[in-house]
Amino acid sequence: MNDAAAFIAGMKVLGAGLAMLGAIGAGVGVGIAASGGVQAMGRNPDATPTIQTNMILGMAFAEAVAIYALAVALIIIFAA
Amino acid sequence: MTTEATPKKRTPVKRWIVLALFVIGGYAAFGSIGVLKPISPVVVLPAEPTGISIAGFPITNTILATLIADLVLILFAISAYRFSKSGKQVPSGMYNFFEFLVEFLWNSVKGAAGKWAPRIFPVVATIFLLVLAANMTKLFPGYEAIGYMKEIHEGKTGYAPVKLFDLGSIPVYGLDKNHPVIGAAHGEEHGEAAGGEAHGEESAAAKEMCTACEVVPFLRGSATDLNFPFALAVITVVLTQVYGVWALGPSYFSKYLPVGQLVSGGIFGLINFGVGFLEIILEFAKILSFGFRLFGNIFAGTLLLSIVGALTAIVVPPFLYLFEVFFGAIQAYVFFLLATVFISGATVSHHAEEHH
Repeated sequence: MNDAAAFIAGMKVLGAGLAMLGAIGAGVGVGIAASGGVQAMGRNPDATPTIQTNMILGMAFAEAVAIYALAVALIIIFAA
Repeated sequence: MTTEATPKKRTPVKRWIVLALFVIGGYAAFGSIGVLKPISPVVVLPAEPTGISIAGFPITNTILATLIADLVLILFAISAYRFSKSGKQVPSGMYNFFEFLVEFLWNSVKGAAGKWAPRIFPVVATIFLLVLAANMTKLFPGYEAIGYMKEIHEGKTGYAPVKLFDLGSIPVYGLDKNHPVIGAAHGEEHGEAAGGEAHGEESAAAKEMCTACEVVPFLRGSATDLNFPFALAVITVVLTQVYGVWALGPSYFSKYLPVGQLVSGGIFGLINFGVGFLEIILEFAKILSFGFRLFGNIFAGTLLLSIVGALTAIVVPPFLYLFEVFFGAIQAYVFFLLATVFISGATVSHHAEEHH
């Protein structure tokens, strides 16, 4: 039971999993961006190319949060 | 062939072939000998050396995969070039695809960059095509599956090797799913045991064979190595500064060090000076998010494919492959779009609309 190495390894994996909680916000953000984009395209189909570009851009920025979480998780597992 | 649909009795041969392949796949995955069963993958983050080295520089499996992506891209480019020289008016086949792709990219750059589009387009389109080619070639069978074997780390579960056949003088081994072996403690000299499709000749086979093996693949998707997306990200961010200076001259750097405003602007000048410092941090954050976005998506996709492939060998993986094709294209497009927006944003003066 008192295996320090195993405890640290387990805690690392747990920490990485907790770090990925940051992906929740990114998921919500991407969903909101998609919802807004589709609504805008439904109202004004002619503006689809512009809306699509900006929607994907906004999604990419929202996703960046999840990517930072992923970076932290990977660092915890592989580097720390 | 006339335009009218000729009623033809179609014999459904292909669907039976597909069904037979499904059955064979299911039998291979669950019922047959251990060599054909899918084994659970070993997750490795850094790229592994393939054993080849050029002038002392070790070639890793991701470099090899990138070179193959380059080769595919060059072959497509040559075929498209030859078509455009052949003088045919109606585009067909590969050329058609390229025309669609370039037109699509050009419209995207044109919409974002305006009059700077002709100067920005070559850079971002190159990045798009390279990332797309790398993401698509990585889905071919053989990637992450064929390699040399090595002794697995202590405490992990490897598999016993089974000799399949000889390819010339090179023995080819498979891993036996039915014989998992826990990796034992071993010294460094056991690390390079001879293995499946070993590149060495008899000397490799003469070395000690591993007992609990893992496969070190010869080819691994380029974007699953952090170096590939980060190299592209650094190139993009550096080029952002280059294009900024090209468009605005030395005054581009007033974005980062607004000294003029510090002198004339009072308290808001001081705030803007702080904002300029944040802009510098933002450039480094761009590299980080650029690199990890591509890497994270592709690495997670690869992981998903191999783990789900090991758990459910049939029915599910084809759909995941479809998903990966889609995601590979989307990530290439996102990288391209963000590069376009950043570079074209740098060519526009921040204060032009405020003062003039």
